[in-house]
Amino acid sequence: MSDLEKPPVGPEEIISTPGMDVLVPGHAPTNAPPSERKQARRENWRLIRRRPAFIFGVFILSVWVICALLGERITPHDPLDFRAGSHLSPRWEFPFGTDATGRDVLSRVMAGARDVLRIAPLAAFLGVLFGVMLGMLMGYLRGWFDTVASRIVEAFLALPVVLIALLAVTTLGSSSWVVTGVVAVLFTPIVARTVRSAVLAERDLDYVTSARLRGESNLFIMFREVLPNVMGPIVVELTVRVGYAVFTVATLSFIGAGPPPPSPDWGAQVSENYNSIISGFWWTTFFPAAAIATLVIAVNLIADSVQSVMEAS
Amino acid sequence: MRRFILQRVASIVVTLWMLATIVFMLVSVLPGDVGRKVLGPTAPKEDVAAFNAQLGTDQPLFEQYVKSMKRVFTLDFGTSYQTRSSVSDIIFPALGRSGKLAVLAFIFTIPISIAAGIYAARRKDKLADRVIVNAGLASSSIPEFVTAAVLLAVFAVELGWGKAFANPPDGTSLFGQLEYLWLPAMAMAIAYFGYIARMTRAGVITALNADYTRTATMKGMSSSQVMRRHILRNALAPTITVISVQIGYLIGAVIGVERVFNYSGLGSTMLGAVGAHDVPVLQGAVLLVGIVYMLSTLLADLLIAFLNPRVRLETAR
Repeated sequence: MSDLEKPPVGPEEIISTPGMDVLVPGHAPTNAPPSERKQARRENWRLIRRRPAFIFGVFILSVWVICALLGERITPHDPLDFRAGSHLSPRWEFPFGTDATGRDVLSRVMAGARDVLRIAPLAAFLGVLFGVMLGMLMGYLRGWFDTVASRIVEAFLALPVVLIALLAVTTLGSSSWVVTGVVAVLFTPIVARTVRSAVLAERDLDYVTSARLRGESNLFIMFREVLPNVMGPIVVELTVRVGYAVFTVATLSFIGAGPPPPSPDWGAQVSENYNSIISGFWWTTFFPAAAIATLVIAVNLIADSVQSVMEAS
Repeated sequence: MRRFILQRVASIVVTLWMLATIVFMLVSVLPGDVGRKVLGPTAPKEDVAAFNAQLGTDQPLFEQYVKSMKRVFTLDFGTSYQTRSSVSDIIFPALGRSGKLAVLAFIFTIPISIAAGIYAARRKDKLADRVIVNAGLASSSIPEFVTAAVLLAVFAVELGWGKAFANPPDGTSLFGQLEYLWLPAMAMAIAYFGYIARMTRAGVITALNADYTRTATMKGMSSSQVMRRHILRNALAPTITVISVQIGYLIGAVIGVERVFNYSGLGSTMLGAVGAHDVPVLQGAVLLVGIVYMLSTLLADLLIAFLNPRVRLETAR
């Protein structure tokens, strides 16, 4: 987005990349120079890594990932232990205070990272996977399939995602697998629409025509010829979708379609406690809410950096 | 022009039919006996069976489907399973209440976010631009219920500037209702600031670099005239599209905000209907959101064509 952050790329930097390839331990040295595409990808990655927003986002995200991975091993108290006094305001022993049943809010916030970080990235990945397949078929095959699928996609876009997810979760039960699957399915049409328009721009180019004249099968053309050329928007879509998945999963657990109560999930914590804000107990709601906000912002900073670099190249 | 509108209306009807079908499919596979759910666990078996027969939920699925589609296209949404009153009497007032919230949110957010977007574009890559872009990113990515909960804690409870229960008592004057509604509307306004500001910024940057802008400047127009006559007309098209898409979300996806502020709008109505397996209410509410969403996108396309006659309506989507 901003040109200032992009350092000018000198030719020597590009030339030096193939050499680095050989030096990387564990990486098979190749005699053939890396393809242009590979080089461009490495160049993009280098530009992304230099953006302060990206570094900041990765930093916050890693904090939450560490909390999710280590969970109870690093929390100061047991997130389910209710032996402390109820509604203690933030103090040295309980920096985020305690909730109505006397559980340590800091420990619960730390342990609560696990649910959302297990569900959201997987849901986003599956949604993009299905969306790429559907969008590829729609954009490449065109014809009646595209017409029918486009209508269905449009109907889905008019639906409030959260509501349909809630409906489906009520129907199928609220295990984390169901939430993952539902979010993935709801993201599919949105991704499909993006991929479809990217494929539409490619399908009449010469390389596709010549592949067809060579007698390649449709499947081969779609996934070996067209797919690598639309990878840019797909990567962008994936990072953006992770952000939306966190958003959706948190909202779902807030309206009661997440993991059941004793779980320290953030959305569930907000939902459990927001009614006690009126009595002045703001910390039981504020800290899990802030946790959601920081995670979503971190993911979006990363997504935004990826998007700016990819779209500039 | 007329052909375009007819085409769009036809496609709206098809999309609505699909919406209704999707909702029907999702709801009809909901487990559980509707009569049992509504009458409670202690009701005698015969009453439950009679209730189900009366509702028609004991009939084969296909017949239920045909019946419910017939109702959809006559805009008769039937009666609520739960309260036995007409669905229209439930969802239209709820839409009105949500609409009030949405209008207020737009009044807060549109002027500020468009101004911020234009300002950021003119100061591209300067500090002010960075601040606006990142604030927009943050505001649009935080879930609305999180913003709502924070606003509730800070303004309604700590400062006492608003109400924690946003339902104004009956007979409150329009101005008096503001005290109840401004906090939830603010939560929604913050959520949409980011989308609109970023879209405006991108549109203005594109227009600032366009040839027609250079020509206009070179022929001696003042910069404010260039802005009004050339840049904004072109730059606002994507912004209008975003706003129109957001109208549907604003009404449908306010479930979180309405819940935090205990406001009885369309979001809470839908949430309640899901819990109670109240199929007609749910279907009516979702269709209503769909209709609002599609009408607002149609309106936006017409508005864009009006602002910029070069946009050919036939190809506009």
